[in-house]
This record gives sequence, C-alpha cells and structure tokens, in this order.
Amino acid sequence: MSEDVHKRAERLIATSNVEGISAPDREWLDEHLESCGRCAQRAAALEQVVVTLRSVSIPPDPAVVEATRRRVRVRAAELHEQQVRLRALWMACAFSWGLGVLSAPLVWWALQWIGEHLALPTAVWTVAFLLWWTVPAAGAGGVLAWLRTRSPSGEYLRGLPR
Amino acid sequence: MDTAACWFANPAWVSMEREEKTIARGLRRRDPELLDGLIERFQYRLFRYLLFLTGSRETAEDLFQETWIRVLERGRQYDGRSKFETWLFAIARHLAIDLLRRKQPQSLEALSGSNEESQIPFQTSGERSAFESLAQREEGERLAAALANLPGSYREVLVLRFQEELALEEIASVVEAPLSTIKSRLYRGLEAMRELLEGERS
Repeated sequence: MSEDVHKRAERLIATSNVEGISAPDREWLDEHLESCGRCAQRAAALEQVVVTLRSVSIPPDPAVVEATRRRVRVRAAELHEQQVRLRALWMACAFSWGLGVLSAPLVWWALQWIGEHLALPTAVWTVAFLLWWTVPAAGAGGVLAWLRTRSPSGEYLRGLPR
Repeated sequence: MDTAACWFANPAWVSMEREEKTIARGLRRRDPELLDGLIERFQYRLFRYLLFLTGSRETAEDLFQETWIRVLERGRQYDGRSKFETWLFAIARHLAIDLLRRKQPQSLEALSGSNEESQIPFQTSGERSAFESLAQREEGERLAAALANLPGSYREVLVLRFQEELALEEIASVVEAPLSTIKSRLYRGLEAMRELLEGERS
C-alpha cells in the first residue's frame, strides 16, 4: 500500500472528527480501515480522544451557583432602581428643557432690560442668557456622572466587550 | 424547496429561533426569573468551558459569577439572532481575557489567539488543581494530564467543539478567529491529545 493512501486515510480520519466527510469518502475510509491495522489504530485512538472529551462532566459547586443567583437578583434590583431614578431625571430634564424653550423670549427680554438699566455691555447679558441655558444641562450631567460613580459596577461597566 | 424554505419548515429550527427571541426579550427586560432559568440550564456548560479555559477552579468560579452579572447588565445587546450559548461563551471569554490581562499580561496572547502555541497558565500557585474533580475518575485522570499539557488555544476549541457541541462557525464567533484557524487548532489539538494520551498509556 502506498504512503499516499495512508496519508489520505489520516487526513480523512482527522476531517471526519472535526468537520465530517462525504459518503464516498466515508466508504473509502471504512474499506481502508478494514485492511490497514495502523490506520485503524489511529482512527480508534482519535475516536477515543473525542469520546473521552465528550464524557467529561465537571459540575460547578452548588454553593457558587446559588451565590450567583443571589448576586444576579441583587444586581437586577439595583439596576431597576437606577433605571427608575434615571427615568425621573430624564423627565425632569425634558420638563426643564420645554420650560426653557417656552420662556426663552421672556428671559431674553428680561436680561436685556436689566442689562440696559444697569448699563452693562451687551456681551454680559448675552453670556448670562447662555448660562441660563447651559447651567441646568451641566447640573443634569453632573447628577448623571454622580449616579454612575455610585453604581457598584460603575468601574466594571467601562471598557467591556460589546 | 430552497434552503431557507427548508429551514422555516423545520419545527426544531423554528422553535430554537423562537426560544432565542424569547431569551432576548427577557434579557432586555432584565427578568430575574429568566436569568435564574438560564443559570440553571447553562451552569454545567459554562463552568466546564471556564474551567478548561482558565485551568483554575477558583478563577472559573469567579468568572462564572461575573459572566452572569455581565449577561444581566449587557443583556440588551443580545438580539436573539445567534444562539444564546455562543453569546454567553463570548462574554465569558472576554472576561477571562480581561482577568488574565490584569493578572499576567504575558499570558494574554494565549487567549487572544495571536500565538497558537502559547500556553494559558494552567494552575496558579497556591490554588487547587484545576482538574481535581476530573482526575478523580480513572479515565479523567489521563485526560486531565493530557489537557494540562495542551496549549490553551487548542484546549479551548476542543472543549467548544466536543463538549459544548458548537458548530465550527459558532466557535469562530466565540473565539473571534477565522474559520480556518479554528479548524487548524482543532486538527492540531486532537492530534496533540492523541499523542499525549498514547504517551500516557505507554
């Protein structure tokens, strides 16, 4: 028997375990294995490896599983609470933004009036108007950042796989 | 009938797809009952994978817990289009890589797959043997010894293929490596296992 035949058999033995082989290849291999002790031994050894791998059973410690369940429940409750807080914050932000938009002409007019009465440069009361818009947003951002740092897994959440 | 039609006609496939969608919906809601059920169902497979991946029972137990917490926190990213276990193993693997990066930066390559021959540290000093429980059984003893000597990247694909019964494409997705690399690791891993087990026997 030529060396090429054994090489083909070896290749098919490996492929049959990893990807599977076609019916004609399977037929050819079975025939070859019947007549070649060396390749049959190789096939049996690889089959044994796969069977041994499949037979392994390593149960986790039940205490670890129970602790995991508890941790998951606690964390789920924390996340729920956090979500409720965030929802309230977003609603407050939306309300504040809406109010800001509606009152913008009035605020502009009021600041302009104060600026003229106090003889302030236009830039000063314009900046005051911009602050009127940016300070609440900065405040909300600050609160969000604070909530994030308070979260037990705040650190844990950064740079995680997607 | 074309392939898609065959798939849709296959009740097993339809039910699997429905199940994955149900899991995805439950994870979006962060449903603790669903999480409980998933922990119950996947505990053996996840733990076994982590144990084979890290080689340390203690580390595997820590990562087991962290993985489920991550599943809870990141559950909204699971869209139900792929099998849940593929996503679960990918999360576990990322956590293991993160842990190794913090503990032993030099061992990172072993998991990231940039060096196929590199070794995942199999046992941290002072810890219990990773495969103590496995070695308690007679046939497991030889397997434990063989696995301990196997490069981590081979060990990982062997466990995903022959224990977790994942398809080659799913393994490629978990390991984030090309299909050809996965096949090559499987062939080499099986061959190495065969040689190691035969060596043990002789």
